[in-house]
Amino acid sequence: MAAITAQNIKKSYGHIHALKGVSFDVREGEVFGVVGPDGAGKSTLFNILTTLLLPDSGTATVLEHDLLRDYLEIRKNIGYLPGTFSLYPDLSVEENLIFFATMYKSSIPDNMPLIKPIWEQLLPFKKRPAGKLSGGMKQKLALCCALIHKPTLLFLDEPTTGVDPVSRKEFWEILGTIKKQGISVVVSTPYMDEATLCDRIALLQEGEFIRMDSPKAIVNDFQGELVSLRTTDIFKLLKLMNDCPLTCTFYPYGENLHVIFYEPMETVLPPFEAFLQKNDISYDKLTQITPTIEDCFIEIVRTKN
Amino acid sequence: MKELRQILRKEFTHIFRDRITLFLVLAIPIMLVLLFGFTISTDIHHATISVLDLANDSQSKTLVENITASGYFEVVSYPKSESEIDHDFKDKNIKLAIIIPNNFEEQLTTDKFVTIQIISDVSDMNVASILNNYVKAILHDFTDEYNGTATVPIELCTQMMYNPEANSVYMFVPGIITLIMIIVTALMSSITLAREVETGTMRMLLIAPVKKAWVVVGKVIPYMILSFISTITIIVISVVVFQMPIKGSVWLLLLVCVIFMLTSAAFGTAISSLVKTQIDAMMITMMGLFLPTALLSGFLFPIDNMPYFFQILANVFPGKWFIIAIKDVMLKGSGFMDIWLYMLILFLMAAVLMTLSLIRLDKRR
Repeated sequence: MAAITAQNIKKSYGHIHALKGVSFDVREGEVFGVVGPDGAGKSTLFNILTTLLLPDSGTATVLEHDLLRDYLEIRKNIGYLPGTFSLYPDLSVEENLIFFATMYKSSIPDNMPLIKPIWEQLLPFKKRPAGKLSGGMKQKLALCCALIHKPTLLFLDEPTTGVDPVSRKEFWEILGTIKKQGISVVVSTPYMDEATLCDRIALLQEGEFIRMDSPKAIVNDFQGELVSLRTTDIFKLLKLMNDCPLTCTFYPYGENLHVIFYEPMETVLPPFEAFLQKNDISYDKLTQITPTIEDCFIEIVRTKN
Repeated sequence: MKELRQILRKEFTHIFRDRITLFLVLAIPIMLVLLFGFTISTDIHHATISVLDLANDSQSKTLVENITASGYFEVVSYPKSESEIDHDFKDKNIKLAIIIPNNFEEQLTTDKFVTIQIISDVSDMNVASILNNYVKAILHDFTDEYNGTATVPIELCTQMMYNPEANSVYMFVPGIITLIMIIVTALMSSITLAREVETGTMRMLLIAPVKKAWVVVGKVIPYMILSFISTITIIVISVVVFQMPIKGSVWLLLLVCVIFMLTSAAFGTAISSLVKTQIDAMMITMMGLFLPTALLSGFLFPIDNMPYFFQILANVFPGKWFIIAIKDVMLKGSGFMDIWLYMLILFLMAAVLMTLSLIRLDKRR
């Protein structure tokens, strides 16, 4: 059984085509990641699947209910954590949770086993107004509210954006425990490192899925040889790379430069090193590495264009 | 029902945590009614005047006494000549001068016709015309008294009904109640609903399996309660401080107020269903409802004097019907059968707008 099947979902805002025909399935019990930069159409897709927005065309079933016809049934069984903070800032943590529990005809004690791992972290702040929580705590509270009615499908729209690295890690650990309860999760993120934590990911670019697979398969499919080098003057190197005689793709990656070659390493490495030495580039390390999802994303976008 | 209770509790929590708004909502009505009642009053007492009594006979003295005794005027100067009157206007800041001609008594008895000259400071037109009317009324009474009941000349007798003293508080109180109800019910409801949209909490409520009508009703009821408290405060102040009568049934008066509250809330809800931000909700309510109500409801300017287009337009705003209804109940003592039509109009406005906004709220965009 599929948690979601979507066919050719399209949505435009005036001249802007936010979604240009998106089709995909989400399997029951999996964590499905929608990865893409800001403005790719992630939130539009979430608003459509959570029945808040009507698509211009396309069909979908969510939890085996028709998106257009049975949207009230869908609403009963999904949990939604929107991309922007959507709780009452002047109500306390506890008041927010009680309020949303009642709105979903549920109660905190009924769902304690499900929300316990998160609730325990929130407990020291339960009297604090939600607006005065840290970014990470806000999202944990929002997740708590989204889970309060035992949904079977959870939509998390950029849950870790604006959250510190430690809290991000904690948040994904919580998602792991939620998945164990058999809840399917659709999560969007602009952070590529989080994509590897999903069972399957879809790379969303300008309203289209340009690749959909497990993170491992996407990495395995990477065509080319990837090297990373560290230098003291990355700007000089970047400028110089435009004159590189070898066929390659290059981009800064953190403090390093990543270069993708399309021929075997043995044939490209000696001339490349010669090119660098000739131009007086000093570098610490020049190592071949396995690509990350981000490398794959960049390469997929490049080949597509 | 549990959901509705929870929404009500949440909304009251919002209200009580926002102390400034709560204070303003409760204090403004009291301030407004006192302000209008005491200061922005069109009744004039003890206006300073000069009297140039050229006759100085017994009848002219009686007339001057009548003028002083009326309480509307205070004679601050008795000039000796017309040129002195000019100085009085400039130096003593008098509002009006009365010139009683030579041989006043003689003309009165033989000619039965006397001309008395009134000189007014018309730099404030309203004040001048009101004072003129006061003088006319006093002169009218004076000639009546003088003629006695024996001679019956044809005379114009204007009897002022329902507000015999032309007391302006009677005019302002219904208007203030209207404006306060629009501020507290319509404005606050539209803002509070728009806030849910702006903060994104509305979409959380929309995808929750809770009845949308309860979301709206639960959010609006607290402001209706606040508005009702304000209305009662205004009525109590006007009765206790300004001796405003309630000639009709108090219960009918309260019923009319409750119906108008529903109408205001429906207007607020309808406005909020059209906007996405609190500031838009506020601007539209102020410009599109509050101002037209203040200007077109007959509260500040008589509807009959408006251009035809505005007379028609005034019907669209609920304030007009409400003001007619409560004036009728308070001042005329009208009963249910006299004002049911106005209540029906207000109720229908509420029903139609509330239904439309609920449909719009529940619809996916």
